[in-house]
Amino acid sequence: MIEADGLLKSFRTRHGEIRAVDRVSFRAADGQITGLLGPNGAGKTTTLRMLYTLMRPDRGRVLVDGIDAAERPAQVRSRLGVLPDARGIYKRLTARENIEYFGRLQGLDAALIRARTARLAAALDMGEFLDRAAEGFSQGQRTKTAIARALVHDPRNVLLDEPANGLDVMTTRSLRQFLRGLKAEGRCVLFSSHIMPEVAQLCDRIVVIARGRVVADGTPDELRGATGLANLEDAFVKVIGTEEGLFA
Amino acid sequence: MSAVWTVFRKELLDALRDRRMLLVAFVVMPLAVPSILVGMSALGARKQAEKIESTLELPVIGAQRAPNLVAWLGSHNLRIVAPPADADAAVRNQEREVVLRIDESYAADWRAAQPARVELVFDSSRPMQSGTTIARVRNLLEAYDREVGVLRLIARGVHPALASPLRVTSRDLATPESRFDLGQQLLPYLLLLLAFIGGMQLAIDSTAGERERQSLEPLLTTPASREAIISGKILATAAFTLMSVAVTLLAYRLAFSLMPGDRVDLSLDVPAHSLAPLLIVILPIVLLGATLLTALAAFARSHREAQSYLPLLIFLPMIPTLFLMVAPVKTQPWMLAVPFLSQNQLILRILRGEAVTALEWASSLGSALLLAGIAWLVAARLYYREHLAASG
Repeated sequence: MIEADGLLKSFRTRHGEIRAVDRVSFRAADGQITGLLGPNGAGKTTTLRMLYTLMRPDRGRVLVDGIDAAERPAQVRSRLGVLPDARGIYKRLTARENIEYFGRLQGLDAALIRARTARLAAALDMGEFLDRAAEGFSQGQRTKTAIARALVHDPRNVLLDEPANGLDVMTTRSLRQFLRGLKAEGRCVLFSSHIMPEVAQLCDRIVVIARGRVVADGTPDELRGATGLANLEDAFVKVIGTEEGLFA
Repeated sequence: MSAVWTVFRKELLDALRDRRMLLVAFVVMPLAVPSILVGMSALGARKQAEKIESTLELPVIGAQRAPNLVAWLGSHNLRIVAPPADADAAVRNQEREVVLRIDESYAADWRAAQPARVELVFDSSRPMQSGTTIARVRNLLEAYDREVGVLRLIARGVHPALASPLRVTSRDLATPESRFDLGQQLLPYLLLLLAFIGGMQLAIDSTAGERERQSLEPLLTTPASREAIISGKILATAAFTLMSVAVTLLAYRLAFSLMPGDRVDLSLDVPAHSLAPLLIVILPIVLLGATLLTALAAFARSHREAQSYLPLLIFLPMIPTLFLMVAPVKTQPWMLAVPFLSQNQLILRILRGEAVTALEWASSLGSALLLAGIAWLVAARLYYREHLAASG
C-alpha cells in the first residue's frame, strides 16, 4: 500500500519558484490498480519521484506499507518496483544481465535471480531477446526489460510512470494483461498516464491531478456520478477544467 | 559493501565490452607511450653518436684570410665548405647549425699579435638540435687558441704555466641511471598523466553517460545507497586505469628489450624489478584521478560538458615536472608529501635504483590517499544532489 499525505514540492527556476506539486494526498491500495491521470506537466512525475524517494518532498509524508520514506528510504525502495520515466537500459549487457544487475542490487542471490528472471521473461514474453545484447532493442523490448528488472525482487508495490509511452498497440495490450496479473497477485499497482482511455480501461481507482493538485479521486463510477456526466471522458474534462494536454 | 562490489563488477564488464575503450586503454596507449619514449631515446642516442664522431661540415666565411687555422680545423675531423650567401639567414632557416666568420682584419691582427677576431653564428634557442655541434666547434677554436698561445709564450721564453694560474679538472659523479635529461622527465610525466586521466572514458561513461542514457534514475530506485554506487564506479575506473598502466609499462619494457642496447639511451630503461614499486607509487594517483574524474563527470550535465573540464586535469600532473624544470633542486622532505611532486620524485628514484625509506613511502602514499579521500567525499556529496538524476 502506498500513501501520499500532503506532498508539496517546489522548484527554483530562472523565472522564480514553481510549485510543481501542491498538497497532493491519495492512497493506492493492495490488490488494486490506481491510475494517476493528468495532463502533461500536471506534476505526475514529480509526485511519483517523491514516492520512490528520488526526491524529498518539501512538506508532507510518504508511507509505503506503513514505512516512512523519509526515515527509511532504502527499505521503502526495496518494497517498490519502479519503472521511471527514464528507462534506459545498459546496451552492452544482455537483457538477462540487465535484470541480474538490479537483482544483485536488491540483495538477491544468483539462484533466486535466475528463477525470477525465468518467470518474468515468460510473463512478459521476452524469450527471444533475453540473452541478446540490448543494443538495437526496440522500444517495446527495452520497456519489457526495464519492467522485468524493476520487478525482479518481487515487490509488493509497483510504480510505473507512463508505462505505455512509445509502445505499439500489441505491446500495450500485453502490458495491460501483465498489470492485471500483478493486481490479481494482490499487489498494489500505481501508474501515471495522460491517456484517458488507458486509465479508464485498467483502473479500479483514479486520482486526477491538474496543476499540481488532486482535483478528483474515486472509482470510475464515482467520477461519473460526481460530475453528473455519463461519459468518463467528459467527466475528466470537466474536473480538469480544460482539454489541454489530455489527448496528446 | 555488496552493492559496491556489484556496481564495480557491472561497470568493469560494461567497459570491457566497449571496443573503443579497450582499444584506447590496451592498444593505443601501450603502443603510443613506448613509441614516444623509445623512439626519442633511440633518436637521441643516434644523434649524439653521429655528432661526436662524424665529420662535421663547417661553412667558413673568409677562409682565405686564415689558411693556418682552416688547415688546423680541417685536420680535426671538420670539413670546411663554402659559406652560404647569407650566413644569418642560413642559420635561422636551420640550413646550417653553425657558420664561422673570419674577420677581415684577421691577418693584420694576427701578425700584430693582437687578438684576431673570429665569429661563430648560431642559434642558441635550439640546444637540442645544434648544442653538440656548437660546443664542438667552440672547443676546437679554444684548443687552437691555447695551442698558439703556448707556442707564442715559449717563443718569448716565458713558461706557459704562468699564463694558467688555475687548472680546473672535473670528475663527473653521475651514474648512468642518474643522468637527468628530457626523456627522463618525460617518463614520470607520461606515467602520472596516464595514471591520472587514463580512466577518463570510463568515468565519464559511467556517470555523465549513464545520465544521458537515462539509466541513472532507474539505478537510484534500487536500495543501493548513492555512496555505494559512486564508490563502485570510482573503483571500477581505478581498476581499469591500473590495468591500462600495467599493460603500457609491460609494452614499454618489451619495446625497450627489443631494441639493440647501443641504439637506445639506457637511462630510460624500466628494469623488471621496478615495475611493482612503480605501480604502487602511482596507485594513489590512479585513485585520485578516478575520484576526481567521477566527481567532475557526475557534476557535468552531459558527456560533452564533462570532456570540456579535462584540460584542467591534464595540467595537474604537469605542475611538478614544470617545477623541477625551473628549479631542479635536491629532494626536500616536504616534497614527498605533495601529491604529484612526490610521485614524480619517487618514480625517478626507483628508476635510478635509489632506496626509498618507509617514511618516504608513507608520506607519499598517505598524502595522495588523503586527497583522494577528500575528493571521494565531494563526489559522494555531488551524487546526493536531487537534480542529478531528475534531469528528464
